[in-house]
Amino acid sequence: MMLFSQVQGLPVVTLGEAAELGVLASLTVEVASGHISHLRVSRPRGHQDTTIAWNALHALGPDAALVRSAAALDAEPATTPVHHEMLRQRILTEAGDERGTVKDVSFDPETGRIGTVHTALGELPADSLLGLGEYALVVRAEPATRHAP
Amino acid sequence: MSGLTAARDLAKRPVVTLDGEAVAQIKDTVFDGPAGRIVGFTLSGRGLLAGPLRQSLPWEAVHSLGGHAVMIRGREALAEPAAVVARKEAAGGHVLGARVLTDAGAEIGTVLDIVVEGGTSGRVVGFRIAASESLVPGSRRRRRKVYVPRGETLAVSGTALVVPAGVTHFVADDLPSFVGQIDAFRARAGREGAGPAPGARAVPVEADAPKEGPTP
Repeated sequence: MMLFSQVQGLPVVTLGEAAELGVLASLTVEVASGHISHLRVSRPRGHQDTTIAWNALHALGPDAALVRSAAALDAEPATTPVHHEMLRQRILTEAGDERGTVKDVSFDPETGRIGTVHTALGELPADSLLGLGEYALVVRAEPATRHAP
Repeated sequence: MSGLTAARDLAKRPVVTLDGEAVAQIKDTVFDGPAGRIVGFTLSGRGLLAGPLRQSLPWEAVHSLGGHAVMIRGREALAEPAAVVARKEAAGGHVLGARVLTDAGAEIGTVLDIVVEGGTSGRVVGFRIAASESLVPGSRRRRRKVYVPRGETLAVSGTALVVPAGVTHFVADDLPSFVGQIDAFRARAGREGAGPAPGARAVPVEADAPKEGPTP
């Protein structure tokens, strides 16, 4: 398992040409499937920032993200999903109560599967996530413990 | 039971979809007085410059009323303003400012705010009232604001509402202690009906803690 905070800022390098495309800015999560769908890459000056589909990734290691080729950038279709940043996002339960903010997210670097969401109030399993939008990360309401007699 | 909220505090609370998008914020809460429940909300846009929205949120479309947001399934839950506002007029209106009378004929105060239960019920559980001296004895200048349960029987007109006399035993000074009073009130109502019962679990007003400071 790796953490979002560990991979932010890693150089993004092509496997064939060993060309450095830029640095990994953030990861786009598709909450419905519980997987990372895209990587957002900020590129050097003069180039537009870009996104790379998770399946164009060769490996995500401790020191670099390797993509199959620079062609992966050009081949990127215009249908990139809207990115909502997960780190530092406000967490709301489906009951409408705030539950802190996202401190970090663990994921499997092989598959891109989300493991747990770390919050100031403890960890949330990936299957408790319901939706991620501009305003909040919505999670399932936990069993009521606050008003227990 | 979910937390209690005063209706005034609902204003500006964001309306959030389960996808995590804030689509509006609460402008006003609309009640069905006699039924003792929320009919829905009128909405305004989010942000400093946003005005009223030409949309409303009927209670049936609410997923949950929470402490920080009103959750809905999606944007399609929003309806025409008429869906909520027409029912407001049908329900006959304003409770704020109405005199509160017990069914024994005593006036206990005037309504300042309406207290609703969070979650999915939309129920009105009580009122915040400016207490009259008969309910809360003491200096006239220290006009007290207290919470009273609404009771299961409730009659509402435009200018007054009538509650069971028993509710005066379950007055609270603040919302957290009101939660306990509501539970006690319901427990007793369930056991003996709505009539007042001397002794039992009645809690005298003076025993409430902590006291709210004098309010100008």
